[in-house]
Amino acid sequence: MTDRLDRWADPPLLVLASLAGEPKHGYAIIQDVAQTMGVRLSAGTLYAVISRLESRGLIEPLESEDRRRPYRITAAGAQALSEQSQRMQQVAGLARTRLKTQFGGAGA
Amino acid sequence: MSAPPTPRPGAPWAGAVACASLRLYPAAWRARYQDEVRALLEDSGADLRTIASLAGQAIRARIWPSRHLYDPPARMRASLATVAVAWTVLAGLAAVFASFTQTQPALQQNLTGPRHLVIQWSFWVFDGAVGASLLAVAAGGLPLWLLMLRRARRQHRPREIAWLLAPAVVPAVYLGAASVTLSLARHGTAPIQPPFAHATPSFIDLGNDNVGPWWLMVAGFAAGLMAAAGPGLALHRLRPGGPGVTRAARAAGLAVAAMGLAGAASIVAAAGLHAWGAAPYRQGWPFAACLLLFLAAIAVAGASAARGIRAARPPAAA
Repeated sequence: MTDRLDRWADPPLLVLASLAGEPKHGYAIIQDVAQTMGVRLSAGTLYAVISRLESRGLIEPLESEDRRRPYRITAAGAQALSEQSQRMQQVAGLARTRLKTQFGGAGA
Repeated sequence: MSAPPTPRPGAPWAGAVACASLRLYPAAWRARYQDEVRALLEDSGADLRTIASLAGQAIRARIWPSRHLYDPPARMRASLATVAVAWTVLAGLAAVFASFTQTQPALQQNLTGPRHLVIQWSFWVFDGAVGASLLAVAAGGLPLWLLMLRRARRQHRPREIAWLLAPAVVPAVYLGAASVTLSLARHGTAPIQPPFAHATPSFIDLGNDNVGPWWLMVAGFAAGLMAAAGPGLALHRLRPGGPGVTRAARAAGLAVAAMGLAGAASIVAAAGLHAWGAAPYRQGWPFAACLLLFLAAIAVAGASAARGIRAARPPAAA
């Protein structure tokens, strides 16, 4: 059951979080998300997300290196990522508090 | 910035299929991302999950294209080309329905009287809806057709002119060839039998001289599709834009809606004929075959017309 919660990972958020560190091209994003967040993005999902984020101005393409075009997060993307991570932090804090109340130290 | 990775080998067939699946994406998407995804597939390799993901997202990209890749005039042109072909199939089915029912007076006797108002009303709705659909096609299609013809002539593009003339030339050739063939056959030993004129339960009888309605019908559908494909190809090559395309996209929506109504009326009429009509109307499979073809054509036409109408909407104010 716990493993299945991985499916709730939001790919746009994962991509934004990956690009928050430095600009990356597609394969580097997939590797970074897999290594640091434990989620394996497929090529179709990744480029669907890149297309959506780009159309909303949350990421932007840089000059292409060979055919591997890197992307970087924009100011609007950083703002969106910041707001979303704050909301997630609130949810995580609430979950920890309630788990501690209900189950003591075991759940927290 | 990350360095280019060392290529990872994957199953060659999976990589080839994954690259081929990129063809499922819209042209605008491919122009923007295809090279990058190919490079990614070379780096990461591909497996069944990659192929399924690319194919699934291609459908999504077609239904909900990204805003920055969305080209309303191109969407309307693609929609018009698809609707033209699907509408032609629907018009062909309407002609088949009319020729098998309304133009068979011997089989209509005592059928459309007071006892069978359902059939009579269905015929009226069918006639009205087909007429409205034709008017919508004329109102939206003719101005755009003339616009493209003028442009093709001005730019000296004979191939596009030939495609644009296909809706006039191909049906004329078909009708001429059909009438000559039938008149020659009538001089044979046995007359051509119209559909349903036999009292036999099966009418897959190509007439007594191996000439009958079925090959004419199939040839008619083929001619109709060729005629409809011509302006679609011209739309693709000439790339017209502006209010003419917008008006045509909206008219295409009306034409498809009217043809859908005509199809519904013909289904009601066919059910009535099955219940109260002469023996040939009690065969189920011709009705089922036409129904399946109608449903497929109306689904394609409806979806494509809806996308065209959506693209024809004025952009939302910022």
